Amino acid sequence: MIVKEWCSFCGECAGVCPRNLIQVREYALIFKEDECKDCDTCIKACPINALEKED
Amino acid sequence: MIETDIIVVGAGPAGSSAAKHAALGGAKVILMDKKSEIGAPKRCAEGVSIEGLEKLGIEPNPRWVTKKIEGVRLQTPDGTDVWLTEDQVKLPEAGYILERKVFDKHMAMDAARAGAEIRIKTLVTGIDKIDNGFIVETESMGKEETFKCKILIAADGPEGHIARWAGLRPAAKAKEMESGVQYEMCNVEFEKPGVIEFYLGSCAPGGYVWIFPKGDDIANVGLAILPHKAEKTAIEYLDDFVAKSPYLKNAQAVEINVGGDPVGGMSKKLYDDNILVCGDAAGQVNPLTGGGIISGMTGGMCAGKVAAQAIKEDCSKKYLKLYDEMAHEELDHDIKRYKKVQEYLLTLDDDELNSLAHAFEGESFEKISTTEIVKKVIKVSPKALLKLGKFV
Repeated sequence: MIVKEWCSFCGECAGVCPRNLIQVREYALIFKEDECKDCDTCIKACPINALEKED
Repeated sequence: MIETDIIVVGAGPAGSSAAKHAALGGAKVILMDKKSEIGAPKRCAEGVSIEGLEKLGIEPNPRWVTKKIEGVRLQTPDGTDVWLTEDQVKLPEAGYILERKVFDKHMAMDAARAGAEIRIKTLVTGIDKIDNGFIVETESMGKEETFKCKILIAADGPEGHIARWAGLRPAAKAKEMESGVQYEMCNVEFEKPGVIEFYLGSCAPGGYVWIFPKGDDIANVGLAILPHKAEKTAIEYLDDFVAKSPYLKNAQAVEINVGGDPVGGMSKKLYDDNILVCGDAAGQVNPLTGGGIISGMTGGMCAGKVAAQAIKEDCSKKYLKLYDEMAHEELDHDIKRYKKVQEYLLTLDDDELNSLAHAFEGESFEKISTTEIVKKVIKVSPKALLKLGKFV
């Protein structure tokens, strides 16, 4: 997952992740990408378009 | 290893309230927050009811009250206004707009003065259930520490992991998590001062736009949407609204706030052996407005009181169930009622919202009876009444 530099680390993505794979630190997001099923819920929920799927 | 009676994770209003009441009850309490500054950045429109503060025994303080709410303006998509101002109607809930950055710190200070130890910039990286308690692993500025507590209180917000790590269900499913964004703006113009404004309809699918005044020309201008009902992201809807609003033509943003709001109602189970969940992490949020300061603090107060007593008696789920009962008794009625109103509003399209507003435009709400309301709704929008019938 690409986290854009304007991410506010608000935690919306972590709150909606159905598999609980995103940990929010004060200034960082930690994704357990190996367990991600690419549902894109976090990308759609981000209020400020700060997440992008890596190709 | 550091041992304590109770660890509260998250120093928002709910967590600080839990820590304060647990400490007042005689427990040894540590309140942890991952942020370097409690209360910042805010993720909130900052509205709170006066009655709610009174019930919690909190005296309003000019250092954290920015504005008294004098009324409510509801605007539907065609620009029709329904005004509920103090000169026209006795408002069911008067309120204040807060300065959360100051308010949250004051609440944490209250907890500290009650005896709680505060650890800022402390992230919980994991928990382990042990006999009669939890091991809590933390990281703070490169330093790893291990704590042991008899009761863990999760007040770590809608994105929190603590409850989920402990096997409890998250407060909201993805579909019930609003996506919110807000600017704090200056040069905002108001038609009536001190009135909080709500804009309904397709300007914010699944939610609404708000303008909450914080000063003569200062306001929180924000919105929340339900992403599965929306075609764009929250900030795109907000920028569209700001560009079109005549009241914001000269407005300038001095801050942006972002965050999620769990509007699905309170979690069914708020406890287990040695653990309690409160605040946004427990869905203690008004599903209609998304407001969660008072309800979260009420939940926190119940959690803190029960936890302190449990330390003296029994930390198992058998005893901690008392918190669940108290929280549901205090909050269920309002949360369930507002959930029904929210569900009803979600069924209405822009035309139906406009019709309803036309029916009540200029109406004196103090004098209107329920029968008259029903008659008016039948006249302007039988479809809206049918939908209403499903929820009553």
